[in-house]
Amino acid sequence: MNISWIKKNTFHYSEFSDLTQLVDEKQRKNLKISLCLPTLNEEKTIAKEILIMKSELMTRYPILDEIVVVDSGSTDNTRKIARGYGADVYKATEILPDLAKFKGKGENLWKALFVTQGDIIVYLDADIKNIHHRFAYGLLGPLILFDNIKYVKAFYDRPIAIGKSKIRPTGGGRVTELVIRPLFSLYFPELTQILQPLSGEYAGHREIFEKIPFPIGYGVETSMILDIYEKWGLDVFAQVDLDRRIHRNQDTRALGRMSFAILQTFIKRKIKLGLVDYKEKLYNEMIQYNLIKNEFKPDIYEIEGHERPPIIEIPEYREKFNRIS
Amino acid sequence: MDDYIEKLPGFVDTIKSIEETIITNIVLIGQIPAPTFKEKRRTSVFMERLAEFQVDECTTDGYRNPIGIIKGTSESKPPIFVVAHLDTIFGKDIDHYYSIQEKSITGTGIMDNSVGVGVLVSLPEIFRKLGLRFESDIVLAGVIQSLGRGNLRGIRHLLKTWATPIRGAVCIEGAELGRLNYYADGMIRCEVDCNISPVNGWEHKFKPNAILVLNEVINQIMKLRLPQKPRSRVIIGKTSGGFKHGMIAYDATLGFEIQSNSDKMVKSIFNSIKDIVEGTSHEYEVDLRLKTLSNIHAARLKFNHPLVKSSVAVMKKLNLTPVSGPSESELSIFLSRKIPAVTLGITRGENYHQQNASVEIEPISKGIAQIIGVIMAIDSGVCDEHQLD
Repeated sequence: MNISWIKKNTFHYSEFSDLTQLVDEKQRKNLKISLCLPTLNEEKTIAKEILIMKSELMTRYPILDEIVVVDSGSTDNTRKIARGYGADVYKATEILPDLAKFKGKGENLWKALFVTQGDIIVYLDADIKNIHHRFAYGLLGPLILFDNIKYVKAFYDRPIAIGKSKIRPTGGGRVTELVIRPLFSLYFPELTQILQPLSGEYAGHREIFEKIPFPIGYGVETSMILDIYEKWGLDVFAQVDLDRRIHRNQDTRALGRMSFAILQTFIKRKIKLGLVDYKEKLYNEMIQYNLIKNEFKPDIYEIEGHERPPIIEIPEYREKFNRIS
Repeated sequence: MDDYIEKLPGFVDTIKSIEETIITNIVLIGQIPAPTFKEKRRTSVFMERLAEFQVDECTTDGYRNPIGIIKGTSESKPPIFVVAHLDTIFGKDIDHYYSIQEKSITGTGIMDNSVGVGVLVSLPEIFRKLGLRFESDIVLAGVIQSLGRGNLRGIRHLLKTWATPIRGAVCIEGAELGRLNYYADGMIRCEVDCNISPVNGWEHKFKPNAILVLNEVINQIMKLRLPQKPRSRVIIGKTSGGFKHGMIAYDATLGFEIQSNSDKMVKSIFNSIKDIVEGTSHEYEVDLRLKTLSNIHAARLKFNHPLVKSSVAVMKKLNLTPVSGPSESELSIFLSRKIPAVTLGITRGENYHQQNASVEIEPISKGIAQIIGVIMAIDSGVCDEHQLD
């Protein structure tokens, strides 16, 4: 296994904190950069993300050209607040409305490719409690400064918010350590160098994103890594230490469903790449049990594993961005 | 003088145009926990942000108060201080992450004093945006160790070691917009600790209860006859003690403040309480200790001091109604050193000292315009010829 990548392509966000240099280089290369925030009921955190990014990376340092929110149909005030703080806000279902409708983070990321203008797109989760502009400039640094880097993942020291007001200093990344890392170690040892493959914050060139499929749900981060690795190799990747990220803790059942979707995506990728010959049917239901009145009742959660094709295959996209399939 | 007063309403709109940057500063600094004596991380972020906004000098004094200096046009005019305390009453394991809604910001310590500190750090950018230059150097100081046991050590040290005269000062507090503090009461902040040995001794037939002993102290303090003139009061502010519901308390603590606009009266009440504590200790045969945490002298500007009159004029021009009361904060240290100063609030809010404290965004621009108006008044010379009593 080649482990030189981790030394060469791992950075700390502070290496890119000279924002004037990033602005100069961005302008010299004539790049456009979009920030995309996929949302579903994020009224508590969305305003802070938009406001800080806009103040620091649009008004003070013109690094971002646009902030786009793609919403999965929030029932709270997410869209209203985001619009009020100056983001371009879209409902996912209203983008490419003639296509079949799906709901999920991956769907929002994929559709963002249609409505954003940037040559580079930064995706940040919208539930980051300790949002800071380093989350964006840290990811953008390698993409703006180094021509060989096309896709950048975040990694963190991840404390978890417990209860209403306390913070536990360690934890997080359970699905990474229990599911992804064993899988990568078994099948793609090189990829274990990506320290937090499931982090929800990443950035890349449009020319990469438009050529890979996007699973609708939880599997999007895993599939993105596998597809980019398969098409362009590990050398186009970089990872950046963004210090700390405070996020909502998810219960074990939710993590179980997340793991199901990731395993589903992983196995489908293996089959697609011809790396395994799977003889049996894969089911698409995650079955968990509840004890109700002394009786175990199954709680069945259907995870279809729908996937959007590379967006460059969509005629409307090709027309809008003047692309040849 | 009227020149700058007339400009103030126009300032509000210009300040509003960089509201995002101001709120960003409030959030990025306020989200760093800074309990009194543990302000180091917040100090670093404060310095980073000040340096970002390109003040002429950015440093810490010998006590680690972070300071930024914007150079003035005059070599001879003394500096004007603008200060906000950095520390909060909340521990570092409390969630300090803020939530911004359409019209408000919510979170731990937002009113006391994240808004004040965020605005302080934003002033260089606001001055630039408004095209303002001052004759005096403007010293922006985030002072540490202000609250509770901090006993205003940061500001005391800063002023004690500042080598040159100071022209005047503005102290910034997050809330409430409309406050105009120009006098400080004399104050002694105390704690009474009651400790009872868990070991049985010959003197106790029945073990005394520390909480009940302090209750007796409180009862006796309540019986003290306090004069209305000089205006005086004792505030019982904190209690703690005991282990569990079904066990006699061996330890208990009572925290209180004696406040009066007469230092003599503060001292006299303190002596009475000292007698109460000693008497109770003797009669109950328990270890009862009175500790002084903080001592502030009464000091004031007169209402007709030009700084107060100018501040009132500034506030009225911005349609604010000044509300005055005593303030035992940084203001008292400036005034006790004969430096004219006022304390002003930035915005309105609710749940002042709770974790769900919340401030309104809309009034912030007006609150800042008011601060700038008072700085301009000091720069125009309103403090130059009037000594404090």
